[in-house]
Amino acid sequence: MAAAGIDPTLTTAALAALEEALNRALSLDTAGQQQLGRLAGCTFAIECTSPAINVYLQPGVQRTRLLGFHDGPVTTRVRGAAADFAELAAASDPAATLINGNLALQGDSAPLIELQGIIGRLDLDWEAPLVNVLGDVAGHQFAEFLRAGFSAGSAASNSLLRQLDEFIHEEARLTPPRLEVEDFYSDLQSLQQRVERLQSRLERLRKRMRDTHA
Amino acid sequence: MSDKRTTHFGYREVEEDAKAGLVANVFHSVAGRYDLMNDLMSGGIHRIWKRFTIELSAVRGGQSVLDIAGGTGDLAAKFADIVGPTGRVVLADINESMLNVGRDKLLDHGYQGNLEFVQADAQHLPFPDDSFDCVSIAFGLRNVTDKDLALRSMLRVLKPGGRLLVLEFSKPANPLLEKAYDSYSFRVLPFMGKLVAGDSDSYQYLAESIRMHPDQETLLGMLEDAGFVNCEYHNLTGGVVALHRGFKA
Repeated sequence: MAAAGIDPTLTTAALAALEEALNRALSLDTAGQQQLGRLAGCTFAIECTSPAINVYLQPGVQRTRLLGFHDGPVTTRVRGAAADFAELAAASDPAATLINGNLALQGDSAPLIELQGIIGRLDLDWEAPLVNVLGDVAGHQFAEFLRAGFSAGSAASNSLLRQLDEFIHEEARLTPPRLEVEDFYSDLQSLQQRVERLQSRLERLRKRMRDTHA
Repeated sequence: MSDKRTTHFGYREVEEDAKAGLVANVFHSVAGRYDLMNDLMSGGIHRIWKRFTIELSAVRGGQSVLDIAGGTGDLAAKFADIVGPTGRVVLADINESMLNVGRDKLLDHGYQGNLEFVQADAQHLPFPDDSFDCVSIAFGLRNVTDKDLALRSMLRVLKPGGRLLVLEFSKPANPLLEKAYDSYSFRVLPFMGKLVAGDSDSYQYLAESIRMHPDQETLLGMLEDAGFVNCEYHNLTGGVVALHRGFKA
């Protein structure tokens, strides 16, 4: 029987390109690559239900592989829709999103948390490839220039986000602050529990009255 | 009238005994420029097809793999990386020129220890029964004189539970793609072959042999008839190429 779905040439080509980019990036952080090597032998399955695409990540000492097919055992399986994975990618606290979000987690979660930690701590040394191409002096100066640019950009972006956040929550009162929302949801949850208890108490009382009349 | 059995060599009918020699001449002629022509003809996509084959092989460290018609060793090199020092990969090819090119290339790239080179006929594999976890043949089956005999030979050398992977040109699923592919195969390929490898006849044979090769469903039936179980195939690039997979029970 023929297997249906997206032409494997497309998915395989995309994964090959992604794998190449990933390994090139990892080669710029030897410490990160060594840490990934500790997860050699693990297979992480990322199963996207819509669109239906499966990706298997196998960290290795020399090279991390991305596969579209995998027949062997899977260490950790994460399953969900593309939107759920996008939410995870954009989350400020990925671990909390992974646990509390709509993604289904199967298998051993410890290696996955370790993988997430290693990826989060990656510190890519962009200077090395620049020095290889431009030479020691020009490469270092260009890297310094880029670092200063990134640093200024990052500081400006953080400041803008903070001010925007303050304006939306405190000045314009367009949406309530995060703590207020969390407090509201907590009250709501407690109210819901009290209502449910009251409802079951009423049910019990009704049943008792019916039994007495009978 | 001759009572000798015949088979096809491209679009020509030839005596069965003659086909192996004719195919050998084709590959003696193209061996030196085989990799370059593969990249040019497929636009590099043959690497994607082979990568997909590796994925479906599910080969793991320590396993043994036989790559038949392994030619210049693209698949064998990947398998050797995966099986590691405790595994074993045998690159087999009936053609001495192709085997020499493959052996030189892989040795130059530092492959040794877990890789062996064997000149062997796919119809009569010189290995004991139940020897390999995986057998692959990429773009080689269509050149074999008796494909059924070759498939049975592959089944014999596979371990129980082992898998066979046949990567081969096939029949495009879309009629429009088929027309474009026909024009490309019969007009562009021989011209390219003449220009780069100085041999248009071999690439004319390539196009003809692809058309004479069994389509997806027929090859699937041949795998089942040979004794493979859980057989399936995956169309690649709209069916220009198909990867068939079967298991030994």
